[in-house]
Amino acid sequence: MSAQAAGGALLSATGICVDYEGKRAVDGFSLEIQRGGFVGVMGQPGCGKSTAALALLGLVRPPGRITAGRVLWQGRNLLEMDERQLAGIRGSQIGLVTQSPRSSLHPMLTVGAQLVRVYRAHTSASRREAREHALEMLRLVGIQEPARRLDAYVHELSTGMAQRVVIAMALCNQPALLVADEPTSGLDVTIQAQVLDRLWEAAGQLGSAVLLVTQDLGIVANYCDRVVVMDRGGVVEEQTVHGFFQAPRHQYSRRVVGLQTLVSASSPQPDAIRNAAGPEAEDVLVRVRGLRKVFRVPGRTEPLAAVDDIDLAISRGECVGLVGESGSGKTTAGRCILRLEDPDAGEILFAGKALHQMRPVELRAERARMQIVFQDPLDSMNPRWTVEQVIREPLDLATELSTGERRNRILELSRATGLPLDALERRPRELSAGLQQRVAVARAMVTRPDFVVLDEPTSALTPETTAELVGLLRDLRGRYGVAYLLISHDLTTIRDACDRVVVLYLGQVVEEGLTEQIFGAPRHPYTRALIAAHLSADPNSRRVDQTDRTGLLGEIVPVSESLMGCRLSPRCPHAVSRCRAETQSLEAQADGRRVRCWRALEGDLE
Amino acid sequence: MAQTQNGSTEQLMRPAPSPGIGARVLLWFGLSVAASVVFLAMFGPLLAPYDPREATGNVGVPPPSLAEWPGLILASVTGQLDAHPHWFGTDFYGLDVFSRVIAAARTDVTIALGGALLSLALGTSLGLIAGFFRNWATALLVRISDVLQSFPVFITAMVLVALAGRATGNIVLALCLVYTPIFLRLTRAEAMTQARRGYVEAARAAGAGPWYIAWRHVLPNSMVPALVQLSVTIGFAIILTAGLSFVGAGVQPPTPEWGLMISQGAGDLNYGWWWTSVFPGLAISITVFGFAVLGHALEARFR
Amino acid sequence: MIWRYVIQRLLIAAVQLLALAVLVFFIIRLMPADPVARLVGFNASPEAYAQSQQALGLDRPLLLQFSDFLGLTAGQPGGGLLQGSLGESWESNEPVADELIRSLPVTLELVSLSLLVSLLLAIPIGMYAAARPGGAVDKGAYVWGMFAGSQPDYWWGLLFILVFAFTLGVAPAPLGRHDPLLLPPDPVTGLILVDSVLRGRWDVLVSAFGYLALPVITMVFTVSGAIIKMIRQNTVRALSSDYVMFARACGLPQRTVALYALRTALTPTLTLVAVFFSVLLSAAVTVERVFSLNGVGQYSVRAILNFDYPAIQGAVLAVAFVSLMVYLLVDILHAVLDPRSRSH
Repeated sequence: MSAQAAGGALLSATGICVDYEGKRAVDGFSLEIQRGGFVGVMGQPGCGKSTAALALLGLVRPPGRITAGRVLWQGRNLLEMDERQLAGIRGSQIGLVTQSPRSSLHPMLTVGAQLVRVYRAHTSASRREAREHALEMLRLVGIQEPARRLDAYVHELSTGMAQRVVIAMALCNQPALLVADEPTSGLDVTIQAQVLDRLWEAAGQLGSAVLLVTQDLGIVANYCDRVVVMDRGGVVEEQTVHGFFQAPRHQYSRRVVGLQTLVSASSPQPDAIRNAAGPEAEDVLVRVRGLRKVFRVPGRTEPLAAVDDIDLAISRGECVGLVGESGSGKTTAGRCILRLEDPDAGEILFAGKALHQMRPVELRAERARMQIVFQDPLDSMNPRWTVEQVIREPLDLATELSTGERRNRILELSRATGLPLDALERRPRELSAGLQQRVAVARAMVTRPDFVVLDEPTSALTPETTAELVGLLRDLRGRYGVAYLLISHDLTTIRDACDRVVVLYLGQVVEEGLTEQIFGAPRHPYTRALIAAHLSADPNSRRVDQTDRTGLLGEIVPVSESLMGCRLSPRCPHAVSRCRAETQSLEAQADGRRVRCWRALEGDLE
Repeated sequence: MAQTQNGSTEQLMRPAPSPGIGARVLLWFGLSVAASVVFLAMFGPLLAPYDPREATGNVGVPPPSLAEWPGLILASVTGQLDAHPHWFGTDFYGLDVFSRVIAAARTDVTIALGGALLSLALGTSLGLIAGFFRNWATALLVRISDVLQSFPVFITAMVLVALAGRATGNIVLALCLVYTPIFLRLTRAEAMTQARRGYVEAARAAGAGPWYIAWRHVLPNSMVPALVQLSVTIGFAIILTAGLSFVGAGVQPPTPEWGLMISQGAGDLNYGWWWTSVFPGLAISITVFGFAVLGHALEARFR
Repeated sequence: MIWRYVIQRLLIAAVQLLALAVLVFFIIRLMPADPVARLVGFNASPEAYAQSQQALGLDRPLLLQFSDFLGLTAGQPGGGLLQGSLGESWESNEPVADELIRSLPVTLELVSLSLLVSLLLAIPIGMYAAARPGGAVDKGAYVWGMFAGSQPDYWWGLLFILVFAFTLGVAPAPLGRHDPLLLPPDPVTGLILVDSVLRGRWDVLVSAFGYLALPVITMVFTVSGAIIKMIRQNTVRALSSDYVMFARACGLPQRTVALYALRTALTPTLTLVAVFFSVLLSAAVTVERVFSLNGVGQYSVRAILNFDYPAIQGAVLAVAFVSLMVYLLVDILHAVLDPRSRSH
């Protein structure tokens, strides 16, 4: 108590070092955390931020070791305590929220049993009281039907739900400090906002300080009071969130903050086609009508429509964005358009040819003109091949070029995508994620296709490399006149790269319009919720300062096809009885955009 | 997503496959044993001091004691001896055990290598097909292979060899049949994983056909588990080959063969003649250990 | 839920057993072996040959023989497989089923005892090695697994006899299941250890333990290394898992954290039990021969070498039945213990 009274700090760490078999991951990390504060820890991947956060609890992943430093907690050094003393502090005074919630819960025990154990480890509560408390905690973190979820196993939960359970476990003994290690990586924006809102509220109610490790500027701007920047295992900058965004000091900070302003200043292609309803007939490169794809799900009698009656048109050189939460069917739609998957119905015209009627052999001949870039660049390349072999494969398969011409084409593309020359000789795994994705783009562009589907190309990338990739894609579009279908759940990417945006929910188009229409004045409640949940990197309009944060309820749940009415109605805050009774149709509006919501069309929502 | 972002720490955190025993040491030890055994299999009969099938007339001669060995080796190298010493003694029929142990390497290693390589070839091909092209026919294949694998291998091999005739070729075929399911299962599991990987999809998107993908992409990336398993399987195959003749269902006497020698030597223990069974067994033991070490070294290197 | 699974698995096992019976029947008859010549001798007259052939029923068409085997032929004495009869041995003229009832328990006793001892040794050692990776125990277990993981059990059995029975005299000579001078207890289960307890024959019990020691040690010697290795790997995986770290981060007592790891580390070990049971059944064939144990391994060797078709079929089906039942039991236990395997 005296140490606290003197320094005022809740926790103070000095000179922490963590080694992994001789390699130093954290090097002299020092930090003070005040009562009730919300501190963000930022830094590039591999800078040791997660390892440092774990070390604050005296934890380290095997085979690492904490080799130096101390963590003062209420005047005592955590790193000198034995396991028993530590167990008394962890989970009761300091809670941890991990990055991978699904693997953090025991696979063979129910969620309830695990919560009860954690609560009872630190209190003298009876089994029944602990179960009551567990129920209350699940409610606090916003889990629907908490009583039923107590008896669920982790494999029966979605990632978002598992993350809430983990937060509930970390908070159930009202810790004075909560360490959260990238708690929302891998979650959809809507779920991310829900989870962080709940975390923020619950921590506030319980008076817990929070240390949040993240590389998302939006999260930092919207939730944190202070920012700590790490580089090469140590703290290189620490200041208030406003100070950080106004005057970042470290070069990494300046780079990422600078990125934000740079990107938002640039506008979409000036010469692009500016027609909200899609291109005129003569410009059309890809036209999709009534596209439909159903999956049979084991355990369900009805097949599930992942893509349900989608119409789409993309003109030459245009970039169309396809957005929606995971499970909205956007990836399936993209794959069906390229016929990497066979649609169940609908027609696909590519440069006037009917792709949907082609036999596999004819289709293969067409592949050189339409390409795809995948979500995980490393996974999309043969691990035994060199980068040059990877880029050359489409040329080998689809063109008649001579060896020299192929080599020239590869060199041209690696220059265009900004690959260093020596990269061609290396294996994909030896490159950084950003370079890997450039290789993937080079491979997609090497046959000079007219059309490229970009399937979540930025989801494996840091904010920095994401911005670079968006710039590269814009460059290549200018140079080769290629058209893109950009599939992403990252609204920043979509906003910065696309001319037009199509919003999907449960396999249906719910809104379609020009990028500035969608982002400036979304009409459909789903689009509104997506945009509202998007955390922009601006500490002056923080989400937590707004009084009304109501977004969508719960998570995306597949609905039965026989359901009458709007598919969003179970989650929509604006739903009325008519919404549940009437099937919604996609209606064109005067400004050219199309919306699937009668209330939005009648202007009820303004 | 999380993996790529934290690739560096993930790699650091992966537990070491071997507890700090140098993979290089293992590799060299395994390779040298395997090479010596293969060398013996090729030239063993030429190096044997006596004809492994011809009785010497000296029955039940014990091997020289360890203290005599250095002198005897020196004498035999310098050519001072009239007759070669019986390094490992002689057996009940007066056959020289040393010559037979050396000559037997050819029998056992040929059969084991043949069986293991044949099952590797068959198992990886079928495994690739079963993992990459998934339909009712390949499902049936896998089912059959599973049932075959769950049944004790020794009994299967014994039935096949005894009833088909105890010839070398039949033993190789029986080994192939009992070990193919192992390679099939390993390759299929890997091929199924690889077939879901993005690079397979990328090749399709680039216009590749299924057989091209199976051959150029999936096969090279699915072979590692089977290749690692090969070395261990050669060891098992040697034990099985010798075991079959040990129970009287393998190669026929008087072929020099380790298991047969142990079987005949087992009865000699009653007279206190330990050398007729101990030396051939030692040969199996060292050979098999060498292949096992090689297998572990490859596993540590490639996984 | 679990019952449906059990019944489904039982049905599959029954189908597999039937398919195996059919397969064995035809395979042994398609082989070039000549059981009649083996029985009457190669110099027998054609008449004697024909007579013997007729006596064995081998002159009848293959499909009729098959219907005899299954028990579909009307008026057939003793019935066939579907009536629960495995036929009579051509060698001893005794019902194969009776012979199997005598020999199967010998093998089961040897194999289960060996497996039990192996697991009792391997689980603590494997876990200790995993808890201190790179330590002396870990290194020792690694080398042990590499060495003993594949060794000829028949040769090690002989070495053990040479050392412990003939040289040191601390173990009995390999003459069967117990001192040949003792009268065995009347069989109840066929398992000598169980029967001697049931009949109160403590002298036989003590003797049987002594006689079982070397064969069990031989089996444990060759199989424990591989089991240790797999338990170590499962434990290392569990200990480095996120849920163990999160359990520690939640301040759960060390004992609870250890139980968390134990549960996930040992559940996959169950599957190992089935695999190693099958491995040990193979090893039993040679080990029984070394130690003069009249188990099903020895029985099948004799049947195979004598071309005794009914005995071969019976032995193969009996062994298959045992392996299938062990696999089934393990799978059911797995489904009970691991909720993930229940959900699909």
